[in-house]
Amino acid sequence: MEETLAIFIASTLRLAMPLMLAASGELVSERAGVLNLSLEGMMLTAAFFGALGSWATGNPYLGVACAVGAALCVAAVQAWLSVNLRANQLVVGIGFNILALGATTLLYRIIFGGLSREEIPGLPKLAVPGLIDLPFAGTAFFQQSVIVYFGFALILLIWWTLNQTSFGLAVRAVGDEPRSADKAGIPVARTRWLAVLITGAMAGMAGAFISIADIHTFTENMTNGAGYLALAAVIFGGWNVGRTIAACLLFGAATALQFQLPAMGINVPTAFLLMLPYLLALLAVAGVVGRLDPPTALTLPFQRGK
Amino acid sequence: MTALALQMPDRRRLLAMSIPFLAVVGSMVIGLLLIAASGKSVPDSIEAFLDGAFGTAFAFGASINRAVSLSLIGLGFILAARANLTNVGGEGQIAVGGIAATALALWPPIAGLPLGLAVILPLLAGTLAGAFWGGIAGVMKVRFGTNEVISTLLLGFVALLMVYWCVQSTALLRQPQTSSSTLPESLPIPDSTKLAGLTDDPESPLHIGLILCLVLALATAIVLQRSTFGLRLRAIGLNELAARRAGMPGSILLVVALGIAGAFGGLTGAIMLQGEQFYLKAGFSSGYGFDGLVVGLLSRGSTLGVLAGALFFGFLRSGGISMEIMAGVPSALTLVIQGLIVIAVAGSVILVEKLQGGQR
Repeated sequence: MEETLAIFIASTLRLAMPLMLAASGELVSERAGVLNLSLEGMMLTAAFFGALGSWATGNPYLGVACAVGAALCVAAVQAWLSVNLRANQLVVGIGFNILALGATTLLYRIIFGGLSREEIPGLPKLAVPGLIDLPFAGTAFFQQSVIVYFGFALILLIWWTLNQTSFGLAVRAVGDEPRSADKAGIPVARTRWLAVLITGAMAGMAGAFISIADIHTFTENMTNGAGYLALAAVIFGGWNVGRTIAACLLFGAATALQFQLPAMGINVPTAFLLMLPYLLALLAVAGVVGRLDPPTALTLPFQRGK
Repeated sequence: MTALALQMPDRRRLLAMSIPFLAVVGSMVIGLLLIAASGKSVPDSIEAFLDGAFGTAFAFGASINRAVSLSLIGLGFILAARANLTNVGGEGQIAVGGIAATALALWPPIAGLPLGLAVILPLLAGTLAGAFWGGIAGVMKVRFGTNEVISTLLLGFVALLMVYWCVQSTALLRQPQTSSSTLPESLPIPDSTKLAGLTDDPESPLHIGLILCLVLALATAIVLQRSTFGLRLRAIGLNELAARRAGMPGSILLVVALGIAGAFGGLTGAIMLQGEQFYLKAGFSSGYGFDGLVVGLLSRGSTLGVLAGALFFGFLRSGGISMEIMAGVPSALTLVIQGLIVIAVAGSVILVEKLQGGQR
């Protein structure tokens, strides 16, 4: 029983990790008023270029850098389109997701050839001395790849930035009241740009986690909707860092259950467990879990004097 | 948008209209450059592409069938878009339509019905299921103020997993499990529930869905341009508050608009099942919903634009698949082209508005 629980906690964390990284990044951008449907595409791009970088250089850390760099490039174009060109953020996002799926599949076939699943240098797992011996959660929490510890630090940093710094205040201002923010001298465009870039960096970490830290290879469409799940987590979490992280863990647990329940002899349809995160998010957007308060200017481009 | 377009001077209007065209051409050029960069022969690839898109009766029919599906999704999209609603849930609406059509087609009493009812009832079931699925998003919008982009997207994922569920469980639609190697699929639907072919050529998969699609396209054009309903959709889309003040039943219109968009999706699912695939399996909607959405977006609200875009993407996908088989160019290339087109068109909206704005 204890072992089962430990495995469950470990796989929940493993499945929730990319969601937490991507969702906390996306949160910043949405608080600033920009919705990145392209999150999925950013993660997939990052997963591919992370794997490519790690494979080409033989150094997984350089792979992570490649992943973040690639996701930042996508984020920069997304920011330019949605902030400067005031394009429809949803349409641009869908376009990026199609493009990312096509481009990564194409490049993978060209570079790695056919369907070979080349193993890439992955990140080592680091055990935290002392804590690893804790019962239940010891091995689950404290024998993870570096990116997990680093990721948690980044998430804390995001929470702190959003809630405790003047930049965080600016982000929330341009997402709720861009006009007033503009009058108060806050650079709306620059703030939104930065927020989208933060999303890109975090999506890059999420993609790197999937290909370099978790699976140790790239497969076509390997994010498989994780980006959309992260978007759902932001909604379910009511645009609040703590609740979004909790939503990611919940979604991770629901996905982990599909492997655990059959092992425990409990028969719940896999499809239902896979569906659960989306159903929960639907209930959340319908206001069933309490009134949601999205940023007022979410998806609305800002243009001075209009 | 059309009203504005009429007031524009010809040159600007032409420029504004040519942007999707330029995006398509530019993206195709990038595609050709990518083929060249990957070291494959460009002429061979083009030949394989054309062969796969138009070459044989089978290729041509398959491309047209694909275009029919994309048109239907696109038509539903522009109808809802007229009311300023963005239906992102085509994929899920296809899925529920496919489930409902399969369930009814496999129900023993149906197959023996006379007068074409064996074909029509599953089609109708699919349409209604899709309408229900789209309607949920409509109700959520007017009741809870939920953005339909988010709700249709989430509903889409739920529907895709419902297909997965249906074909995994013998209690639902999975075929009886006779051995451990029984595939997670439904039984094939009876012949009497399949759509009739359009030609005598047994090679050609072309079916009467094409005629249905053309009729519906005409109907959509008439509804959008000549009916009170179309006018009301536009009024709601332009200024919801003003339309409500003018006494229009805003909430009902929004629900109906999303319901119709969903109905088009559900019908597409039923046609895909009864016309070509003949049994339900996980992922049977295979991206048609998102492709159809793109077609709807690029058409800028025009019915003819939807048909043209659907034909283009129908042939693009078929040609892409053949390019992969015959010239070794991954068919993912067509996704790259498609993504670039969407991004370019979305990014150029501000340019179009500037071109139009001069006359406002």
